[in-house]
Amino acid sequence: MLSLFHWLASTHLSIALANSQWAFAVIEVFHLLSLAISGGAILYFDIRLLGWGFASQSERGVARSLFPLAIIGITAMMISGVLMVASGPVRYYYNPAFRLKMYLFGAALVFHFAVQWAISRRNEDRKTAIPDRIAAVISLLLWLSIGVAGRAIGFV
Amino acid sequence: MPHLQQFCVWISSTPFSLAIRKSVWAFPIIESIHVLGIVVLVGSVALLDLRLLGFIMKNEPVSRVSRAVLRWTWSGFAVMFTTGLLLSIAEAAENYANIAFRAKLVLLILVGLNPLIFHLTIFRSVNSWDVAPVAPWRARTAAWSSLFLWSGIIVAGRMIAYIH
Repeated sequence: MLSLFHWLASTHLSIALANSQWAFAVIEVFHLLSLAISGGAILYFDIRLLGWGFASQSERGVARSLFPLAIIGITAMMISGVLMVASGPVRYYYNPAFRLKMYLFGAALVFHFAVQWAISRRNEDRKTAIPDRIAAVISLLLWLSIGVAGRAIGFV
Repeated sequence: MPHLQQFCVWISSTPFSLAIRKSVWAFPIIESIHVLGIVVLVGSVALLDLRLLGFIMKNEPVSRVSRAVLRWTWSGFAVMFTTGLLLSIAEAAENYANIAFRAKLVLLILVGLNPLIFHLTIFRSVNSWDVAPVAPWRARTAAWSSLFLWSGIIVAGRMIAYIH
């Protein structure tokens, strides 16, 4: 894994990013803009599972209609995230907050989208059930902890 | 020194402002909550905007989406405003001359006018286009301006820390 980060550091892209004064700021802003979009899409799916909003719409309907937006937002976050790492790969490699964030991100990605995918494929609409609420709480806690770990990268 | 600058320098000298600046954790914690508030607020606003533009939830009436996001929009706004005020108090003297901070304040006023105009004009006739997959052009204009203005606010907000 370390060699992958060393390879990334040797690319033209990485060197250009590291030498540019404004590149990081621009990419970081793009990362934040994607955060608002993906955060909103993810939040409203979880809000629906908790029964706190869109109560007139089925869980399945909300899962389906917010799926593309969540995917677009997450993809934009991943692209900008990779570029941020490319500005100093080895520094990120040894940052404990960054490592934690990546583990949490992997877990959130698998968990959240497995839940959303499963619910979007339900054959019938059901009333909000306890397991759905628990899934929403786990999802929210995971995404929230990613945000905290992400903010901590700049501090450790 | 202009009165407003004197006022900002005075704010910076208050024990409260000093306490936030002196603390190792206060600023980053308030800042994180500020970003969380923005995610809730802008995420909510963007959802309604994207519905007006016909990008998402086309089968859902606009008024229903609007009602679903309203509570969260205001909650996000309350969190963003409170934490934003604390951050501004902590760095009042520095922010006074910060061009990004000034730009952000102007954009915030504009973004506040946008829903005001929207609700007083085109949204009054929402019953006649509630179920339309794409809203009328005046509503779409409001949606685009909202998306652009909020993006500008996020950009300007982040730039405050980069510009000295």
